Amino acid sequence: MADKPSDLVQGTLDMLILKTLALEPMHGYGIAVRLEQMSKGVFRLNAGSLFVAFQRLQRAGLIKSEWKATENSRRAKYYVLTDQGRKRLSSETREWGRQVAAIARILEAS
Amino acid sequence: MSLLRSMTGGLRSLFRKEQVSHELDEELNGFLEMAAEEKMKQGMGRKEALRAVRLERGDLEATREVVRSAGWESFVETSWQDLRFAARTLRKSPGFTAVAVLTLALGIGANTAVFSVVNALVLRPLPVERPKELAFLENAHYGPGQSFPNYKDLRDRNQTFAGLIGYRIAPMELEMDRGAERIWGYLATGNYFDILGVQPALGRFFNQDDDLHPGASPYGVLSYSAWQSRFGADPAIVGKTIRLNRLPYSVIGVAPPDFHGTELFYWPEVWVPMMMEPRIESNSWLDNRNTWNTWVVGRLKTNVSPPQAEADLNAVAAEMARQYPDVNDGLHFKLAKPGLIGNMIGGPAKAFAFGVLILAALVLLVACTNLASMFTARATERQREVAVRLAIGAGRGRVVRQVLTETLVLSLLGGAVGYLLASFLSQALSHWRAPMDFPVQFSVNPDWRVFLFALGGAILAGTLFGSAPAWRVSRTDPNAALRGASATWGRSRLAFRDLLVVVQVALCFVLVSASFLSLRGLQQALKMNLGFQPERVATAAFELSLAGYSEERGRAFQQQVLRAIQQLPGVQSASYSNSVPLSIDQSSTGVFPADKPDLRPSDRIGVTFYQVSPGFFATLGTRLLAGHEFTWHDDAKSRQVAIVNLAFAKRVLHTDNAVGKRFRGGVMGPFAEVIGVVEDGKYGSLTESQEPAVFWSILQSYNSTTTLEVKSSLSATQMVSEIRQAIARLDPELPLYGVGSLEHMLGFAFFPTRAAAIALSAFGILAIMLAATGIHGLVAYAVSRRTHEIGIRMAVGARPVQVLRLVLGKTAALLVFGSLVGLTLALAVGQVISSIVYETQPRDPVVMVSVWVAIALLGLFASWAPARQAMRVDPMVALRYE
Repeated sequence: MADKPSDLVQGTLDMLILKTLALEPMHGYGIAVRLEQMSKGVFRLNAGSLFVAFQRLQRAGLIKSEWKATENSRRAKYYVLTDQGRKRLSSETREWGRQVAAIARILEAS
Repeated sequence: MSLLRSMTGGLRSLFRKEQVSHELDEELNGFLEMAAEEKMKQGMGRKEALRAVRLERGDLEATREVVRSAGWESFVETSWQDLRFAARTLRKSPGFTAVAVLTLALGIGANTAVFSVVNALVLRPLPVERPKELAFLENAHYGPGQSFPNYKDLRDRNQTFAGLIGYRIAPMELEMDRGAERIWGYLATGNYFDILGVQPALGRFFNQDDDLHPGASPYGVLSYSAWQSRFGADPAIVGKTIRLNRLPYSVIGVAPPDFHGTELFYWPEVWVPMMMEPRIESNSWLDNRNTWNTWVVGRLKTNVSPPQAEADLNAVAAEMARQYPDVNDGLHFKLAKPGLIGNMIGGPAKAFAFGVLILAALVLLVACTNLASMFTARATERQREVAVRLAIGAGRGRVVRQVLTETLVLSLLGGAVGYLLASFLSQALSHWRAPMDFPVQFSVNPDWRVFLFALGGAILAGTLFGSAPAWRVSRTDPNAALRGASATWGRSRLAFRDLLVVVQVALCFVLVSASFLSLRGLQQALKMNLGFQPERVATAAFELSLAGYSEERGRAFQQQVLRAIQQLPGVQSASYSNSVPLSIDQSSTGVFPADKPDLRPSDRIGVTFYQVSPGFFATLGTRLLAGHEFTWHDDAKSRQVAIVNLAFAKRVLHTDNAVGKRFRGGVMGPFAEVIGVVEDGKYGSLTESQEPAVFWSILQSYNSTTTLEVKSSLSATQMVSEIRQAIARLDPELPLYGVGSLEHMLGFAFFPTRAAAIALSAFGILAIMLAATGIHGLVAYAVSRRTHEIGIRMAVGARPVQVLRLVLGKTAALLVFGSLVGLTLALAVGQVISSIVYETQPRDPVVMVSVWVAIALLGLFASWAPARQAMRVDPMVALRYE
């Protein structure tokens, strides 16, 4: 059971966050829950690594943020994918697919 | 783009810290609340839910810290904290800080000062266009000069130079309202300014067309400082007439302020076209292929490398050698960096400067070991504080960074003070004029290179001496340290500090022995027999042909002046000659033994010669070994006579008893008979071995260059003004130069030795100071650490001597070991020094022993106070301390 971010391949957390945001703008907790649900509980993310990633992505211009009310009328910071982030997501997804296929070939070969 | 965003994001967090941190708090709280609500929906109580979230997602306080420290701005922020902390700790121990800053300032200042000289000599280019393309033409066999016809051939036949310029240092007599003055200028070919690419500050420069026919272009270009100081910066100077050597020249322009010609050390006041040479100097050599008077600098064509240019020049040289085999045989050229007369001055000056730079680096190294040991001691004292910080969660990296910040702050402070010291020193050096009648001056003012050097030195020093305590701190064991087990650092740490002391003592030994060696050399040089006694001899010189005297009038005038001087009160003896030994102006000629009738060049012996009046040897105090001095009857009407020195007698005449022997002076010169033999002396430099010299009677061979020598019972300054008045009564217009005491004038000959001795002693003194504080620190620290132990020992009956042995035993061992290492190094370094400073023997036992004694005394002196403190330890107080 991988519940530590260090168990994620380096850099994949960023890609997963971008993927999550590709559907709709979301706040931090929402992203955490969505990642957990989509991975069927494999990734339970530590708040520290999550928020550091938000800061990093934001500084890189891949996401931006705005304060909005939640459905429970609570104020929360929503993260939105930028155009640049969308491009990055598609290129990283492609690259990821290539790598996974390659690794799979190697593992099946022997 | 993203870098920019990262920058603005970081800057926002830095400067709007409150808001950013507030936002983060709100976001994280929201996260916590939402997660807790989820749990509460599943039926947990609020408290329980919050706890569960914390377990699952990590502590929010920690998260906040992690997020904060993830951006680059946090680095800036912690650095700022470290800086403030460093400033606070340094302020808390002002004594420690002052010693550290002073140590560094001396080390870095010494290095920076030396570097600014190296910079001025080697690194800084001439202030002309594309200075890298310039090269000085050196005659591989004959030295720096070329003959003017050879220059013209080279200029016209080479393929690789955009242009070749020729120039010559020339003294001139400038007539001003207040009388004539001797100034120094350049004779320069017409293309000089165009090839160098210098722009005039005022008016224009002369060019190729102004320099076509001998005597046809009476133009002068003034240096900026000459225009300022001699002509009051007259804005209408261009077009005015000045008189040089009693002929009118029109001023056509003024050079820019930072341009001092093509040699770094020589600042001319006026440039005159080369074709005016016959008017400026009394004899013309423009057509003489065997007068090597012209210095040549060339500008390489673009894309031509120096080796290509040398090959090209030497192809031309081979051609010239075939054409004029009698003078150009074996002609061969080398290129050198311009600015220091090629390698003639450049070679030794650079070697010396780099040698001193190495010594300066050693001083800095001593300073660094000193500080490393001071800081390691301090780190030990602060281990509790460090341990507390580690225990409450500071990372080791942060603690190390904090220590390094402190040492860097110190070293930058020290570097700043050192840079200021060096600036003062080099300002003084730039304004200093060597004590001679020659405008030797060069600018060593610090520029950006020097500043970068000082900054780099400071950072290097800080990292160097900071790494020791930083390493120490990074290994602190908080558990042991907090238990109060201060001794647990034990053996290995002490061994490291011991090593520092050994290094320090060894380096100190090297530096001190270097300065002792050079001082001893200087002392020997000052005691050395010069072949004359300069005490209470005043000199004054004038040039009669420049002043328009014919030979006949000149002879009469010289004797008139001498008679007038001899009448002055207090004068014991007076004479005149063309020059005096060890002044800058020396002449040599070739002589042949009388028994070699065919005058083959291989039999020619080069000798220094002087033309002197009767009374010359008595005035200078040169001992006559045989025969007698010249008399007023040794004139043109009588047979040719000569006085020679002992070396001449041995080398040329092969006898000690040369009186009555004859020899030939120069090619086809007349036979001369030796009428006296004088002791050997020094003529060109202090470092020469015993050179042959011949003295002619000036009555038999006239020379318009006249130096008066006056021995008197008066002080030199009094005598000098008497001499000035006496000459002015005979010719009020005649400019005098080289006026002063002979001892003062010898400053020129003693200059290299003196400069070396001063520089080396300064380093020696610095090293001694540093080593003293280093040893003192070591012993004081040892005593303070062992106060408790000493107390116990004294309580159980140890005598003071035993305590002393306890405290000093190790120091003594370290001193002896360090000195041994230093001795080995010093013997190697001594070889280098003996090549710079005259009369030094690298293995001089007196020096080595006295250095050893000095270091031992130093050790004793430095450990005196702490050792006394150790002996006075009151067992009761020491034991109560814990």
